Amino acid sequence: MDDPYDLAIVGAGLSALSALRAGIANERTVVLDYQDAPGGFLRSALPAPGFEDAWELISTFRLPQGVTAYFEATAVGLLPAFNASEPHILLVRLKQGTVEIRARRVLIACGGLETTREQAQIPGSRPAGVITPVLVHQLLARGYLPGRQALVYGGARYVHATAQRLAAAGVKVTLIEPAANNSIQGEEPSTEIAEIVGFPRLQCVRLRRAGQLFDAPADSLVYGASMVANTLWLKGSGVMTRPDGAIQVDEQYRTNVPGIYAVGTVVVPSLDHIDSITMGKEVASLLTGGLS
Amino acid sequence: MEKKIRHVDVLVIGGGVVGCAILRELSRYDVTVALLERNPDICDGTSKSNSAIIHTGFDAPTGSLEAKLLLEARELWPEVIDSLHIPYLQTGALMVAADNEELSTIEADIIPKAERNAVILQRLTSAEIVDAAPYVNPQTVGGVLVEGEGIIDPFWTTRAYCEHAVLNGAQVFLGEAVTGITVESKNQLVHTSGGMVITAALVVNAAGLWADEVARLAGDNSFHLTPRKGQFIITEQDHGVSQIILPVPSRISKGILVTPIVFGGVLLGPTAEEVTAKNDLATTAEGLQRIRTGVSKLVPAMEQALSVRQFAGVRAVSSTGDYIIRPSTVSHRLLHVAGIRSTGLSASPAIAAYVSALVRDELGLSLRSHFVETLPEYLADDYPDEGDVICLCRSITRSEILAALRSPLPPNTLDGLKRRTGAMLGDCQGNLCMPRLIDLFQQQLGRDPLSLEKNAAHSSPVVGYVSGLAHSVLNQAPLSLEREG
Repeated sequence: MDDPYDLAIVGAGLSALSALRAGIANERTVVLDYQDAPGGFLRSALPAPGFEDAWELISTFRLPQGVTAYFEATAVGLLPAFNASEPHILLVRLKQGTVEIRARRVLIACGGLETTREQAQIPGSRPAGVITPVLVHQLLARGYLPGRQALVYGGARYVHATAQRLAAAGVKVTLIEPAANNSIQGEEPSTEIAEIVGFPRLQCVRLRRAGQLFDAPADSLVYGASMVANTLWLKGSGVMTRPDGAIQVDEQYRTNVPGIYAVGTVVVPSLDHIDSITMGKEVASLLTGGLS
Repeated sequence: MEKKIRHVDVLVIGGGVVGCAILRELSRYDVTVALLERNPDICDGTSKSNSAIIHTGFDAPTGSLEAKLLLEARELWPEVIDSLHIPYLQTGALMVAADNEELSTIEADIIPKAERNAVILQRLTSAEIVDAAPYVNPQTVGGVLVEGEGIIDPFWTTRAYCEHAVLNGAQVFLGEAVTGITVESKNQLVHTSGGMVITAALVVNAAGLWADEVARLAGDNSFHLTPRKGQFIITEQDHGVSQIILPVPSRISKGILVTPIVFGGVLLGPTAEEVTAKNDLATTAEGLQRIRTGVSKLVPAMEQALSVRQFAGVRAVSSTGDYIIRPSTVSHRLLHVAGIRSTGLSASPAIAAYVSALVRDELGLSLRSHFVETLPEYLADDYPDEGDVICLCRSITRSEILAALRSPLPPNTLDGLKRRTGAMLGDCQGNLCMPRLIDLFQQQLGRDPLSLEKNAAHSSPVVGYVSGLAHSVLNQAPLSLEREG
């Protein structure tokens, strides 16, 4: 059997690319990602105003010398080592089937998924047009319009960028911030989605604000309220997660399992993209600085 | 519009579990059979949105046709499950009493009725219940075990019935609603929304919730159906639930249950709400709250379990209080199979056998010489070098998607693909992989994204094309993967 890798990085999104650029890799490093190119789910949303750092990192990225990269390669399981002399084993699904990748250290940087209307248990009908930002970007990237009149719901910078991109594609966009910014008059009431209305296509979104209900007509609702860590594949691995599904790490990005680290959205689901880049740099300096 | 005229010996109206089961039975005979479904794919009504239980019929109304067919179905299921490879688990069902009053209802009503329906229930003390199912509310005072109850994949069942029939020569017309029925002495003429006229020696009306309206098109007002809505919550936090947990039922409903799902997770519900519209599939804040309150009495941990999905189904309530399986009042060659309320999935093999016997008597059918007994396992087909994951949340591979798209009865909608493969059913609800599935529909079946529906007509996730260029990197030069140095 081949020697194990020194380091396996699960995910090639911002935090992983940042760590790679900061020199985390040596010649016995492997990186793998579900998509067919690096950049994570943010990739199809860029370039966008305010995301210059992320775009610069993704668009100028070069794989460091000697690093092995697998794309369209999805980690479907992790078997941690029983003791320090054994490597960890990642179960990875490739085009050719499932393979085992053995590595002495694993950096989990597999990001997050957008929470859906379903997870928020918003009642109402179940029409076409109730979607999240990542679907918007992937459809626009193919030249497809996800709607003509969109209500975009969310407060993160990424959600604002989604609204701008839809508007640029000719979609009539209304942006709804869940919690309004503090104004001079004091805190404004938050806006909640009370009900989804319409079938087979979305007709309107019933909003609740300061106890009042009002209907916002739209043929698509882009729900961008929050993210959830992408950790379902770690079920049964022994890597400890918090009740919200995020991986629990210490200040040095160590999980409860020796030799397994985690950074980025998989650790803090509400993380801004700038902070993912910072975390990637930090974990690179910690790991190359001799952390065990 | 020029009419396309076709002739078949037997036409089945309705592509739900009942219609598809009947189509499969009829495909054993030396006649031409066809099925009409008004939605773009089969199994898009009551048959897809239910608790997915194969009932023993222990609580069916004594002496009813429903009770008789549920009893007969128990003998038929093993062959159906085996030849169609349907995912099925005989979990057993525990009915738990919250107090002594409920316990006496079990003794006075439930056990005697079950015995009349030839189902033996096993009494359990509260200690035995908690021992067998530690997740059950410890406040329970006792209950009964219904050993023969199990869980199944209702979509798989319906799809496999239909696919098996297609393999044996049946024709299926999707997206064709019945707009008129003309009764003649020799033939029935069925007109469809797509401009077809199908002449058939015999028509089976298995139109589910709409069977009364189909009957009326032929001038038959002999029964009517009213919709009853049931809301459900799906959670993947199973808390160890491995059996169906039932409350002691009320007069109108079995109540709100906790049911394991055959491919993982747990189903909570249903509510039982009389509604006015047959297509009222909306969940409500009150309904979802009622489910949480209901399940908290049975399995306390389920009150707070995180949900990945909620949905509602509508079932048909018959004006006669029983299944209506008989010839129409206007023609003995129009056969109604209606009012199959919530037990249609469980009774489907027996309903199909019963209906095919009626058709056989009417038309004098003989068995065909070549009948393919077992459905090949298309969905397990593996394509070399196509093993990469498409649905990230549920690890569904390209190979599995291709197998579904290349099957004899391929999906016609995105939801049809979802129900065949499990893709898009995970945490992200398809937001990640749907574009790739749209690509595969286009590559494999030549489907234009604009006309690829989510489910019903006018539900495509793509409403048009971006004029000018989209600004994404995917439309720019591909990112370089060159190495440094």
